[in-house]
Amino acid sequence: MPEDSFLSTLLPESLPAQVLVSAATFVLIVHVVLLTVAYLIYLERKISAYIQDRIGPNRVGFDFGLPWLAFLKGFWGLGQPLADGLKFLLKEDYAPSGVDKALFTLAPLVAIVPALIGFAIIPWGGVVSVPDFDILGFPIVGGDVTVAGLAVNVGVVYLLAVAGLGVYGVTLGGWASNSKFSFLGGLRCTAQMISYELPLGMSLLAVLLLTGTLIPMGIIQHQFEHGWLIFAQPIAAVVFFIAILAEANRAPFDNAEAEQELVGGYHTEYSSMRFALFFLAEYAHMVTSCAFFALLFLGGFQAIPFVNDPLTSPEATGILAMLAKFAVFFGKVVFLICFMMVIRWSLPRLRYDQVMMLGWQNVIPLSLAVIVMTSVMVYLGQIGLVPMLLANIGLFLLLMLIQPLLPSTTENKRIPLYGSRFNPIDPASVQTAPSDPTAREDRPVQGTAPSIG
Amino acid sequence: MTPTTLANVDLVSYLPLGLIITMAVGFAVANVVLTLIIGPKREGKTKGIAYESGMNPVGTARKRFNVRFYLIAMVFLVFDVEVVFLYPWAATFPNIAPGSPDGLMWLIRILFFLFTTVIAYIYGYRKGVFKFD
Repeated sequence: MPEDSFLSTLLPESLPAQVLVSAATFVLIVHVVLLTVAYLIYLERKISAYIQDRIGPNRVGFDFGLPWLAFLKGFWGLGQPLADGLKFLLKEDYAPSGVDKALFTLAPLVAIVPALIGFAIIPWGGVVSVPDFDILGFPIVGGDVTVAGLAVNVGVVYLLAVAGLGVYGVTLGGWASNSKFSFLGGLRCTAQMISYELPLGMSLLAVLLLTGTLIPMGIIQHQFEHGWLIFAQPIAAVVFFIAILAEANRAPFDNAEAEQELVGGYHTEYSSMRFALFFLAEYAHMVTSCAFFALLFLGGFQAIPFVNDPLTSPEATGILAMLAKFAVFFGKVVFLICFMMVIRWSLPRLRYDQVMMLGWQNVIPLSLAVIVMTSVMVYLGQIGLVPMLLANIGLFLLLMLIQPLLPSTTENKRIPLYGSRFNPIDPASVQTAPSDPTAREDRPVQGTAPSIG
Repeated sequence: MTPTTLANVDLVSYLPLGLIITMAVGFAVANVVLTLIIGPKREGKTKGIAYESGMNPVGTARKRFNVRFYLIAMVFLVFDVEVVFLYPWAATFPNIAPGSPDGLMWLIRILFFLFTTVIAYIYGYRKGVFKFD
């Protein structure tokens, strides 16, 4: 029958095991990441408490207020993320009057979806070999499959494309809210995120020029053979880290939600779960960016640089090796996230114009210079670790030499504050008491005035 | 089989993307709908007013904004398109570059391409696009 044959051409005769493994991996990873994100908020509060010499959350255990679970009380405050999530669910989902209802509802969804699908491309567990088998007579072709949510040949370009979509949530949230704080925060955030997408893509190019492939497993394979790329491309690594900090709206680039200026930025008017989605998106974005950095510069799942240990090498395709690789990869991600948090609680926030000037006048020309340097080195065939490191040092010295010759803006210079230790006041001009003694009695004095002399 | 050739060219490797997007959208929508159902509902006369640090809001927020944001968007477009053109080159160039007579030609062409980017950058710089004050 003609219809039957048409249908059979549509349906594949067999399915690669890659599809099943990818689906299973993503379902697992999305839960791991969501749980991690919940506990990252706890971790951030603990780290900030440690830096500011406080205790941090330490009350909420797993007892849920039930007397027969009292032995679960306390627990270092580990129940805090659960309680927070529950509280978000139980709060009123309120839209103020004058908001654009459709966009106001859509914005958090648009923010969370790219954040949740971005890390699908990360090959957490390397390669695992699967035998041929069949499900209810439907054949599954085995072989070596990548343990990633998505194993496609566009590779890291997918991650860049999805990361670029994250801007929409912020822009729509800021625009729809009908609040000036939200609007300004959304505008600032949009400008900042699109500006820092350029150095992100350019420093990624510096990596791709060395690896010659877009596929994540190929990038990791290259790092197993030639050493981690953070040693071969240190300037690109620094640029990339700055760019992911700015893309994730983390301090010192968190101008979109600068509390002192803009209250809450683009999520000022949001409440309950819609606010929580923005919050989750920010932290999921951190996980994705840090995994991206670990993949490109920290050797992916290789445990120790330059040491090809049998368990985490790309040739190991067993289940145990997969688990070990996942642990190593995730350990690197958590380390990078802790580093980001320490940065947040150590450095003051940059002013908005400083952020944009840093991006357009410093980071983008620098990454252009790195691309030119790398392409010349690739043409010369010197893509080993030592020549690349030397070329990076040479480029750095060259830039330091020509930096005073470049035109510089005269605005935004550091002005010594009058009376600070950089600009002390002349002691002779300091007046500690009014020269006219009757002037003191003009003020309404409560109690006895202290004598100054 | 080396891991670099593992990614499939055919469209069947994009099948999990459907599941991924479904799960992400499902998670987001389910959370919002759940809180709409079980959250409280209270209306108030002044509750719907936009927050302006406790003051009565002045005017509307849907105003014209600084033209600098348009400029940034335009310059971003120029540079981003240039970067996108560089990805296929970056994935191909290292595989043919050393020891090939075409290598020098590839290098010079892309250096000229980057040179045009630098011209655009200098033009923008002289126009004051990258100044924020």
